[in-house]
Amino acid sequence: MAVNVEAVQPYRADWRRGRVTAWLTTVDHKRIGLLYIWTALVFFAIGGFLALLIRSQLATPGEHFLTKNSYNQVVTMHGTTMIFLVIVPILAGFGNYLVPLMIGARDMAFPRLNALSYWFYFLGGVVLMLSFFAKNGPARGGWTMYTPLSTLHMVGNGPDLWILGLHILTISSLAGAINFVVTIHNMRTPGMSWMRIPLFCWAIVTYAWLLIIVLPTLSAGLTLMLLDRQAGTHFFDPAHGGSPILYQHVFWFFGHPEVYIMILPAMGMISEILPVFSRKPIFGYKAVAISTAGIAFYSLLVWAHHMFAVGMPLYLDSFFMISSMIIAIPTGVKIFNWLATIWRGNISFDTPMLWALGFIAVFTFGGVSGIFLAAFPIDWAVTDTYFVVAHLHYVLFGGSMFGIFGGLYYWWPKMFGRVLDETLGKWHFWLTFVGFNVTFFPQHMLGMLGMPRRVYTYHHGGLWEAYNIVSTVGSYVMTLGMLVFLVNIIKTSRTGERAGNDPWLADTLEWYTTSPPPAWNFDTVPYVSSARPLRDLRRRISESRGS
Amino acid sequence: MPFRVRRFAFATLATTAAALTTTVSALAGNGGFLPGEAHSPNAHRVHSAFVFVSIFTGIILLGVEAALVLIIVKYRRGKRARTADGPQIHGSSKLETIWTVVPVLILAAIGTFIFYELPGIADAPKAAAADRTEISISGRQFYWQFTYPNGAISINTLVAPADQVVNEHISAPTWDVIHSWWVPDFGGKYDAIPGKVNTTWFKAPAGTYAAQCYELCGIQHTAMAAGVHVVPRAEYDRFIAQRRNDSLALGQEEWQGVCQSCHRLDHSYIGPALGGNPLLADRRGIEQLLRNGGAQMPPVGRDWTSEQIDALISYTKRFAKQAGNG
Repeated sequence: MAVNVEAVQPYRADWRRGRVTAWLTTVDHKRIGLLYIWTALVFFAIGGFLALLIRSQLATPGEHFLTKNSYNQVVTMHGTTMIFLVIVPILAGFGNYLVPLMIGARDMAFPRLNALSYWFYFLGGVVLMLSFFAKNGPARGGWTMYTPLSTLHMVGNGPDLWILGLHILTISSLAGAINFVVTIHNMRTPGMSWMRIPLFCWAIVTYAWLLIIVLPTLSAGLTLMLLDRQAGTHFFDPAHGGSPILYQHVFWFFGHPEVYIMILPAMGMISEILPVFSRKPIFGYKAVAISTAGIAFYSLLVWAHHMFAVGMPLYLDSFFMISSMIIAIPTGVKIFNWLATIWRGNISFDTPMLWALGFIAVFTFGGVSGIFLAAFPIDWAVTDTYFVVAHLHYVLFGGSMFGIFGGLYYWWPKMFGRVLDETLGKWHFWLTFVGFNVTFFPQHMLGMLGMPRRVYTYHHGGLWEAYNIVSTVGSYVMTLGMLVFLVNIIKTSRTGERAGNDPWLADTLEWYTTSPPPAWNFDTVPYVSSARPLRDLRRRISESRGS
Repeated sequence: MPFRVRRFAFATLATTAAALTTTVSALAGNGGFLPGEAHSPNAHRVHSAFVFVSIFTGIILLGVEAALVLIIVKYRRGKRARTADGPQIHGSSKLETIWTVVPVLILAAIGTFIFYELPGIADAPKAAAADRTEISISGRQFYWQFTYPNGAISINTLVAPADQVVNEHISAPTWDVIHSWWVPDFGGKYDAIPGKVNTTWFKAPAGTYAAQCYELCGIQHTAMAAGVHVVPRAEYDRFIAQRRNDSLALGQEEWQGVCQSCHRLDHSYIGPALGGNPLLADRRGIEQLLRNGGAQMPPVGRDWTSEQIDALISYTKRFAKQAGNG
């Protein structure tokens, strides 16, 4: 079927075609995806800068740089920014850009809702950033904002702006998630059964379902917090019969699935990258897909493992320990299948592959330290120390962000038509990989020595000082890596090698169209007969050439 | 490419050797490879649980990382064409079963061992009332208040009898926020939650141990550190008896632990400088401030006994006329 381009152009008004206005008014999933990704990268720079402030203060003991409320504010905003303004939305950006291309669709199911999602994300981010200018500064209770600290003991409107910002971001994510679910359930190209969609789409549909299930809980908790702060209610006020622990249950019922919301799509990216650079199919497609759903299901049953120290009955501690350990099983299945995928392959070490292999190396470590935290008697010792800080950065930076960087290098040619520079890319990877481990590995030891989270200084000499200064040096090395990435983006935008449709000889449908793809994605509706349509296509071409 | 392999192997070996050396030297002084230094039976059991989990997860971790490195080295492209396919293996039900079942068994072993150690961690050993000490620990912005069975009070320094079971009843006042009490050398931590009492225990040899607040509780969370002095029983009894009558010592602890979290004598810190402030000698004025708080100041002494307030005044009145010299 020939598609008449003019006929499907939804808008005729010329003012919408300007260089800037075209982006401001776009409903094209690819442009929205890129808006998400660029905005998230800007917030990543802001969140990273806040992290550097933290590490600079903690490099040596003393009160010389960033202390007390300022420190608490920076810690809070670093966490909030990285989680709500970087990882979750950049994954939405990848999902937006890739899902319709991967399933052979023309666009997302609801293009205008999609634009609304992005602009709500942008607005939520602006609200959170502007809270820096509120009287008494932004929120300062950690990204978890436990009550009653956040309700009864935090003056100023910064925390209210934090709540407002998160409410707006919640609406954005919900609308986006509904869009993903409807798109993936309904708009797959002919022949693309559930067992043929790319594993990244499995991850995104799971991500979306999880968001739909848990975001309303966060909204409810935030609303109760706002009412306690501003309307005189006592939901979390123990002096009037409220329960501060109720907030923790509500928050973590959202907060733990949120962790998987952040990691599953990154795992999906790894599952796309590894086969391509090993020249093999993914090992155990069904197992990887089903384990995604399994992780998502169990993620709804483990929230209170963040709360072992509040003093729950032992039978509840036991339940949450067992459910948390069960999650290790589908996670292990993924890791073993990835290893089996590269086993006997023809492994090329292009930058996307380096990030994917780095992901396996580092994420496995983060998963293992998670077992210690799941075992509640051990958790009683290490919770709320730097051990937890180390663990969560191993899974969220070493996991999610490594996956995201791998995804950026892998799909950059599709998005912009140019391949990111490989030499700079390798510098970026190695500086980040080494810097990351130097930063976060010693934090395990700091935690076990007894260093609490969210303190702005410490009064112990010896190893405390040694591990802290090492950690800070590592964070500077990582920063160097990020600067290399910035240089790479700038350099590539001018002189990058042209990519062509399919620079990596990949398997999935997004490589079937041009780089960057036209607004309508595909000239013909693709038909697929396996999970690797492009490989099939290459084989048919070589057969028809009689070779 | 033998040279690349050799270089790679050398780098790997060097890194591993360096890591091992660091680990061993750090382990020699427990440089943070076990949570705290165990000085209480529950902490010993946390350590054995930690070691048990480390062994099993360590095997998995090393196995995965070693497999990763081996596969990377062995199956790197080398001189093969970029387009050359590896064997098109789509999966193996047998392998999937193995790497599902084996982790299940390992996790079951870990879980079983945790439940085996649990009673020794969670439950205080049975002891006659005479050999047991009940101490209330109250976390407040930004100090720790300890109340002993005879009603004696100390601030930021917990004194406890050696080699006897000490039950810690951890809480926070209803107008305060959540704190968390942990002595790294004594087993697990518990949150000090307004309106809820959590109980844990220790039984430690004489010595001095560090404790701190582990839940972000506001502007001076960092300053909420405490010391635990475990002393022979006789000395402990003497301490709590004396403390009931020695208001000056309590007053000094209150000044240092409560006021000085946010105030200095000679310069403004979080709150204003206090040197020369007549309030420091004004019994009624200071009670008003402690019980109700100020503009930015929490009501740090809302539930203080009048003896506690007297104790504070008896110590602070010396600063009321003197500016500086803080």
